[in-house]
Amino acid sequence: MRVLIVEDNARLAGLFARGIAEKGFAVDRAGNLAHAEQALRTATYDAMILDLGLPDGDGLAWLRANANMLDLPILVMTARDALGDRVAGLDAGADDYLVKPVDIAELAARLRALLRRPGYRNAPVMRIGDLQFDTAGRTARNGERDIELTRREADLLELLMRRAGTVVNKTAITEALYSFEDPVTPNAIEAIVSRLRHRLLAAGAGEVLITIRGTGYMLRDQAR
Amino acid sequence: MREAVSDRLTRGLTIVGLTGGLALIAFVSLDVDVLLEQQSAQVGWRGEWLEIAEHVVLPLILLMLPMYLGIRLVVRRSLEPLSASARHIDAVKGTERGFRLDTTGFPAELLPFADAINNLLGRLDDVAHRRETAAAEAAHELKTPLAILMLELDRLGGPDAARLKGDVKEMSRLLDQMLLTAQVDAHATAPVPLEMVSLAELAEDVVIWLAPIALEQGKEIVFDRIESGMVMARRELLRAAMRNLVENGLRATPTKGTVFVLVGPGRQFRVRDEGPGLTAEQLDRRVRRLPRSDPDHVGGAGMGLSIVSRIITVHGGSLQTIPKQREIVLVLPDPGTSEV
Repeated sequence: MRVLIVEDNARLAGLFARGIAEKGFAVDRAGNLAHAEQALRTATYDAMILDLGLPDGDGLAWLRANANMLDLPILVMTARDALGDRVAGLDAGADDYLVKPVDIAELAARLRALLRRPGYRNAPVMRIGDLQFDTAGRTARNGERDIELTRREADLLELLMRRAGTVVNKTAITEALYSFEDPVTPNAIEAIVSRLRHRLLAAGAGEVLITIRGTGYMLRDQAR
Repeated sequence: MREAVSDRLTRGLTIVGLTGGLALIAFVSLDVDVLLEQQSAQVGWRGEWLEIAEHVVLPLILLMLPMYLGIRLVVRRSLEPLSASARHIDAVKGTERGFRLDTTGFPAELLPFADAINNLLGRLDDVAHRRETAAAEAAHELKTPLAILMLELDRLGGPDAARLKGDVKEMSRLLDQMLLTAQVDAHATAPVPLEMVSLAELAEDVVIWLAPIALEQGKEIVFDRIESGMVMARRELLRAAMRNLVENGLRATPTKGTVFVLVGPGRQFRVRDEGPGLTAEQLDRRVRRLPRSDPDHVGGAGMGLSIVSRIITVHGGSLQTIPKQREIVLVLPDPGTSEV
């Protein structure tokens, strides 16, 4: 996994680079937007970490202007929380955002989550701890034990694994599992979750599927 | 009672008209005196005055009412642009940054006033904008060394580093709150337009954001959408207020405890925690006091409620407490009736 860090503070960029390199990523650094463009032209990256306050321009404006060129997941890093940056960043085409200061464990977890997102150069097999899901074969296993899944259970597991560590609400689950014509009873999702939870428990994965009452469900991200 | 320009004009013009009329009568009486000298012997001075009354005073009296009405009409029409622009200002008050008086159709005499007001509006916008950007820049400058500190502590490792990382996070949180304060102040000086926001969706977003953090602390957040109303809000400000309340609730709740986040009935956002609950006086103190002088102040929690209260005030709502249910409630106005 090759990651590009765009950050103007050399010391901070160095610390980030060293930290996530230790977590198993290959890291390149760019100190401004011009260098970032150059790096993106010469190499293929799996993800980019972009600081918004750069010396040669506003990171958000650059994101918006280059949205069609940037076909890789982008993690925006900002100093400013609560100032609309989060929404503006996601609107501009970023996939996730982090507020400084962050520790390496969190940054690495977010990067891994980004790389599990659909639509990019995905690894065909997703892994969270011992849990594995083969997106092509639609099969799952925990360690050496296969987990037998129906189509909807597999869809649900894939969705939750892609967004592990974050809450997926029922609306998003319904939209992912059913087409518009499908009649969905209010308890259908709960039933699928309950069956999936039993299968995960039976395969020795433990209490990883967590109910967030009133909103949805979350798969615990053990790497966190 | 303040004197109106239209009254002064009417009075002045009436006086001018009356003086003119009297001067005319005086002139005519002299003139007639000379003209009718030979007849005056026949008709006498009484006949002379009757003549004047018939041909001069009567028409003047008959003209007076239409002239008075005419004066009022002209005065009113001349001053119309003023009241029109006042209505214009009134219609957009407090909702838009970048608002200026439209000076087309303004009479030349009024232009300096309109320009002066426009300059003032410009300066207000400027102050608000500068305040926001200055705070944002300060945050950027301060967050970078904090971010470096955090990563250096990461590299050191061990229990001491973990404790210090907690302090770095706390400093960062206080910095965010100062930023938020600057933003609310800027909004109060020169507001940006509010948008229609679903209270329940915003609340669910906050819950989704905070639920994993609660889980890490061994606590649970339960969300309940009793009713889903729309409100007029500056989304990120309202979101920050909600988040502050839920974070406060999490802090007050012991491990294995539950924080309930409820939306409704009506346009209410309620946070119920397992802390001791706040009485109205305690809430009032928390809202008014600077964090340093707050005796209940624990680990940086003090500043939050005063910011929440200010955010909710600029939205035309209120912050309330129901100590019996250990609830803090944000009450927002109906978008149809809200005056912000």
